Amino acid sequence: MVVICVLMLIPFYWVLKTSLTGENIYAYPPAIIPVDPHLFNYVDVWYMIPFPRYLLNSVIVTLMAVCGNLLFNTAAGYALTRDFPAKRWVVLLLLSCMLIPFQATIIPAYLITSWLGVLNTHLGIALPMLSTIICIFIFKASFEAVPRSLIDAARIDGLSEWRVMVRIMLPLSKPAIATNVILNSIWSWNAFMWPLIITRSPEMQTLPLGLARFLSVMENTTGALYAFVVLVLVPGLAIFLMAQKEFIQGLTSGATKG
Amino acid sequence: MRRRHLLKATVLMPAAALPMPAIAQAPKKIAWLTWNLVHLESHIKQWIAGFVAANPGAEVEWIDKKGPELPAFYQTQLVAGTPPDVIDIQGALGLEYAGQGALLDMTALLAKDSAVKANYDADYLSNWVFEGKNYMVPYYVSKTLLFWNKNRFRDAGLDKPPATFAEIIGFADKMKGGEKTGLLTLNFDWLYWPFMQMNGIDLLSPDLKTPTFNTAKAAEVLSVLADATKSGAINGISWTGRWVEPNEAFATGNVGMLHAHAPAYFWIKGKGPWINGETVGATHVPGGWATPNSHGLGISKGSKNPELAWAFVKHITGNVVADSLARTASVLTGNRTVDQAQLARLQKDDPAAYDVLKTQFEFTDKMCGNWRLGNDSRVKDAFWPEFQSAVLGRKTPKAALADAERRVARELRRA
Amino acid sequence: MTDTRPDWYRRKRTREIATVVCFLLPALVLFFLYRILPLGWNLWLSFQAWSPLKPAQFIGLENYQEMLLDDDVFWQALGNTLIFIGCSPLAIAAALGIALLVNSDLKGAAIYRTIVFLSYPLMTVAVGIIWRWLYDERGGFINYVLRQAGFITEPLKFLQSFDMALPSVIVADFWQVLGFYMIILLTGLQSIPQHLYEAARVDGVPARARFLWITLPLLRPSIFLCLVVGILNSFTAFDLVYVMTNGGPGHATELLITLIYKAGFGQTRFDYAAALTVVQFLLLVVLTWVANRAAGGNAGSREG
Repeated sequence: MVVICVLMLIPFYWVLKTSLTGENIYAYPPAIIPVDPHLFNYVDVWYMIPFPRYLLNSVIVTLMAVCGNLLFNTAAGYALTRDFPAKRWVVLLLLSCMLIPFQATIIPAYLITSWLGVLNTHLGIALPMLSTIICIFIFKASFEAVPRSLIDAARIDGLSEWRVMVRIMLPLSKPAIATNVILNSIWSWNAFMWPLIITRSPEMQTLPLGLARFLSVMENTTGALYAFVVLVLVPGLAIFLMAQKEFIQGLTSGATKG
Repeated sequence: MRRRHLLKATVLMPAAALPMPAIAQAPKKIAWLTWNLVHLESHIKQWIAGFVAANPGAEVEWIDKKGPELPAFYQTQLVAGTPPDVIDIQGALGLEYAGQGALLDMTALLAKDSAVKANYDADYLSNWVFEGKNYMVPYYVSKTLLFWNKNRFRDAGLDKPPATFAEIIGFADKMKGGEKTGLLTLNFDWLYWPFMQMNGIDLLSPDLKTPTFNTAKAAEVLSVLADATKSGAINGISWTGRWVEPNEAFATGNVGMLHAHAPAYFWIKGKGPWINGETVGATHVPGGWATPNSHGLGISKGSKNPELAWAFVKHITGNVVADSLARTASVLTGNRTVDQAQLARLQKDDPAAYDVLKTQFEFTDKMCGNWRLGNDSRVKDAFWPEFQSAVLGRKTPKAALADAERRVARELRRA
Repeated sequence: MTDTRPDWYRRKRTREIATVVCFLLPALVLFFLYRILPLGWNLWLSFQAWSPLKPAQFIGLENYQEMLLDDDVFWQALGNTLIFIGCSPLAIAAALGIALLVNSDLKGAAIYRTIVFLSYPLMTVAVGIIWRWLYDERGGFINYVLRQAGFITEPLKFLQSFDMALPSVIVADFWQVLGFYMIILLTGLQSIPQHLYEAARVDGVPARARFLWITLPLLRPSIFLCLVVGILNSFTAFDLVYVMTNGGPGHATELLITLIYKAGFGQTRFDYAAALTVVQFLLLVVLTWVANRAAGGNAGSREG
């Protein structure tokens, strides 16, 4: 197990090491422990690219995606716990939609977005990511686990439909919410192909695009590239590490049962 | 819930719409798409400022994309109906866009401004003539040449560059051994084609309708190249690398010859401090053949301000701006006034660079490897993998040529 | 909904349905716009000759004819995609091993779990860059280790080699997705009732048999989920391939998804790209069905 963990961690270490190494990253044999480590590359990267701008775009898009997902998925998940005609069909429809990977719809999706007039906007980048089917089912499973008696009691007390949800369902579904937030922030934070296609101006580029562009301009000739990589990875890892307990709990209760 | 969502949407909408360029509202706005020129940012902003000063009310949006991204980006903008007005395109891609009807026919504009037309180098200008019409003007130009490492030549007992194909291969063979190899070539965008052309092999018939390359001679050339690659006389990177890898390999000093276009000189010089006029020579390959890899400026047919776009093209390729580009980027521009001044200056200040750049205006009638095809990239994608397989010894030359012929013929049929 | 029900009930029922519709609508509209409509559009487009510069023209099956009969690159990309997917059971098996270890009474299991999962939330573009660097022939870790250990004398050019490029990309993909598989399997393992094992132990069933007859069958839904993720992964690997090799050398690492991108956005062949997309979708449906069968029949039905 220790061996596996070491193997899994080596890539992290190697990049971190390279990002701290000075001018000649090609020296052979490469030093295992960085000689004379310094932050020169990080300073470099800060000046070479509009990092704050990329970061801001990524944050905006991710926030939109996470908020959208929370709204739409809780709503849809809740609706699916209720009885209504054609429910079977809706579930079937959603399940079959799950089989359509977004990447496979990219060309018409581009045309549709162009038709909606939101190309090259934050909304356009976030739009297809505003709801995720798997998360709808995670919420559905979580809501179904709420004891029926509790809901009925609340109804008898005269609570309206959405109050039942906000006051009773959501507080009891924290793991599902955590899963939702984490999965969607990971996915939208990392999304590459879609933003690649629909952004026009450099001001709208998100971090992964900035990273790919930096790579293609510099090739892998400079330690600054790896400093950039580290800078990009840190926020995602931080979010994950902070919320991993709820996340795993949420997955356990939802994903395999949902 | 629903109300909240609507509210949120209305709040978000204006925020999201803000960064959208207001193309529709500004009648005098044009967009300029460049090909990997981010490093010139401060200059480009100055050039644009100069244009805006001369054309009050005009607005220029500058977008830059790296080579592999640019075509994809241009496609998406065509679909969205917002193609950048002025585009900087490398090589034959411009002909392809012309063939597809994306570009404005510049013939009449050039005819009207005859002085402007006369100042473009005629042979380079004709690189972008498609079906008798001009679709682009030169922005910065180059074609391939042969760099030879005089140290490697001397060590092998050679004192002059090769004059025939057999000599190229023979010299390369003499210079190989250990870490050392004899010859490298760039391979993207048909840049390796002079090796075929100098052996009298034509890719297509003059009417561009039929493949004519599947000959006994071609099979022989391919097997010579494959054998030399296998023995190490030709460096294998020639057939697998793109730009960085082959140039980097030559810069180490271990390679005898490099077949590349002129900008490679400044790149390898930056990587190899040993490089100067004493150590590296620049010459033509036998027959003077070369494949151009120039950048041109074209105007999108979908442009809403074609007159302004044309004025911008003239501004960017005009004496003042072209001279600024020539000085900062050490390139030739296809603007004759500017290039003559540039060469004169270099002859004095940097004779080695002069030797390299002067080849670019010699044998300009011997440019090969750019066919006036509307589907050049598809023909290229049909031909290159087969050629690559043959020279890397993954297929016999005969089989590769036959497959290539079938695939190229199919692309031509569908054009 | 019969008429015998009182009036207030029907009113309430109508309101309830209205709520349900309101709640469902945003998500459904989104999926209609970005899933169903594009799929149908793709299908329609695949029978046309169309580009942004030319009006659409119906050409029947010509795109498919070209793809299946003439296009060698398509077959290569299809083969690569199948290899890519076909390797995912290897990663799943490895993940299962790790999940079993983590699930046993190992000290510090939570830390191990975190470490193994750590690579999943990473940006795929960054993963591509990290692995490009590991494979690098001069500064790369892998060549360094191999050379130090004396396996090779000359550095290997993993990503430039026709034979090694695809496996190299697949290894990078494994590294990223291993943790995700592990979490899925782990949650599956933890939902297996402990008393089953205890009963088996009391009956003297050996560990191997316990694994074969209790663990594996009860893990089927999780394994199925892993397989689906593995199949879908061949789509999301676009980022990885784009950064690491862009499909090269030659087309050695071309996947269907990268080919679609190149045909559509590189060569203005949206029509042909649409036909490729349709084929890719069919492949996905067939493979998911196969995975479902392989994981034990109606594993997927638990989802409904």
